[in-house]
Amino acid sequence: MSSSIANETTCSFTDRRPWTLRRVLKTRPFLYAVSLFCFFYGWDFLARSLGAEGSSSLARPLEVLAALVDLWDNELAELKLLGHIWASTQRVLIGFSIAAVLAVPIGLAMALNRTVNAIVKPLFDLLKPMPPISWISISILWFGIDETSKVFIIVIGTFVPCLLNAYNGVRLVEPELYDVIRMLGGNRRDEILHVCFPASFPAIFAGLQISMSSAWTCVLAAELVSARSGLGYIIVQGMNLSDPAMVMGGMAVIAVVAYGTTLLLTALERHLCPWKRKIAGL
Amino acid sequence: MTTPTPAPKGKIVCTHVSKTFIQKGKQEVPVLDDVSVEVQENEFLVILGPGQCGKSTLLRIIAGLETPTTGSVTLAGADGVAREVTGPGPDRGLVFQGYMLFPWKTVLGNVEMGPRLRGLSGAKCREIARHYIELVGLTGFEDHYPHQLSGGMKQRVGIARVYANSPEVMLLDEPFGQLDAQTRIFMEQETVRIWQAEQRTVLFVTNNIDEALFLGDRIVTMEGKLPGRVQTVYNVNLPRPRDFTDMEFLRIRQEIIDASQLTL
Repeated sequence: MSSSIANETTCSFTDRRPWTLRRVLKTRPFLYAVSLFCFFYGWDFLARSLGAEGSSSLARPLEVLAALVDLWDNELAELKLLGHIWASTQRVLIGFSIAAVLAVPIGLAMALNRTVNAIVKPLFDLLKPMPPISWISISILWFGIDETSKVFIIVIGTFVPCLLNAYNGVRLVEPELYDVIRMLGGNRRDEILHVCFPASFPAIFAGLQISMSSAWTCVLAAELVSARSGLGYIIVQGMNLSDPAMVMGGMAVIAVVAYGTTLLLTALERHLCPWKRKIAGL
Repeated sequence: MTTPTPAPKGKIVCTHVSKTFIQKGKQEVPVLDDVSVEVQENEFLVILGPGQCGKSTLLRIIAGLETPTTGSVTLAGADGVAREVTGPGPDRGLVFQGYMLFPWKTVLGNVEMGPRLRGLSGAKCREIARHYIELVGLTGFEDHYPHQLSGGMKQRVGIARVYANSPEVMLLDEPFGQLDAQTRIFMEQETVRIWQAEQRTVLFVTNNIDEALFLGDRIVTMEGKLPGRVQTVYNVNLPRPRDFTDMEFLRIRQEIIDASQLTL
């Protein structure tokens, strides 16, 4: 019985062609390696040739690594590298969490309730086009140069994508799914609980991902303007000391840490939305 | 509100139902005009008509998802009293053309949705769901998500989900319209088997003559243009399972084609 229903079978073809040199040259890992090698070699070549003429503004890859080891072992403004990473990450996480906790419920409420929408939307539309970075000066005037002003910038920068995606997530729910709930005897509360929330989950997470990268942009901008710790501070110090290796080391660390937080969010989403796991392309 | 009158459980009566949609720009679109249909207890009634003839709207009115502009629909409940339909409810189960499964729920989660909304205990819900998953032949697929199923399997889940809520009336809105021809015939046979196992009043909307003849005790044909009107009612007194090449089957088929100018 069940074999006649399961009319979907997965076929996997194993390629039995011999490994010729031509095919090895075309494999993905090999091309990755070639690409990365060319990039680093080109970088190193460029740095060396510029360095020969005197003061280089481009550090060689190994110099960047050495600068990072140096930051790892020795304190800069009373903090080692891990301390600075944590300082920035902490700001990002606090600001991001505050924004997510505030913006997602507001976005959902706007989508579900016409009155809330009518009250919040004009204000939101007014503030939305303002670049978050433009808030830096006013936030320093309001909150001083300590943690609060940096967290504030991050909240401002992450609020918009969180809210917009939660809002759109609910608006784009297939309306007939509400009919299903009503036909099964559910009320408005069931519609929200069993359709609205789960259906908008992927969109909310897309918003959180955008917010996360926006949060890193914001924390960096805030730290570049004024900070005594954090990855942005390392970059500013490197600039002040005319040490390109330190600047580029800071940039590299930011890329790695920001990528790490993105992976964390992806893992969280996979855990919370198992139904999305096998849909192609996601 | 009509006065409560005794009627056998599951009997549907549509009296002079008309529906006019108002589109943007205040343009009125009459979709149904004076439709009166009766569906008897445990009868399998098929509404046959081409696309855009208002048959789905009629079904949605009976489901309670649309309100008729004029006229009324009454449905006899389990207590044998006919009441006017005022909104959607668990006494009617609707199977959708587009399956409309919850993609975030497994097969089991989808099927046990109705019992859960009625507040039954988790164990009881799963027991009911397992029973109907078995009835539609999906045992072993309880933990699959809808995107892992084929079209025919998805609609089996849709049918099981409705049965699990034990409605008095089953409403099916072109449920096999998206399936390929072979799966469609197979699903029609399954529909008869499931209906014979769990007798219900069934109202089945389709645009396919063969499907209508294979399934229905009676066939109501609708005119092929808006506003939708009932054209003719045919009695199909053929034993089940029916044969698509049976002489009587072909005779009624030809009769419907001639009468309704439907082209194949």
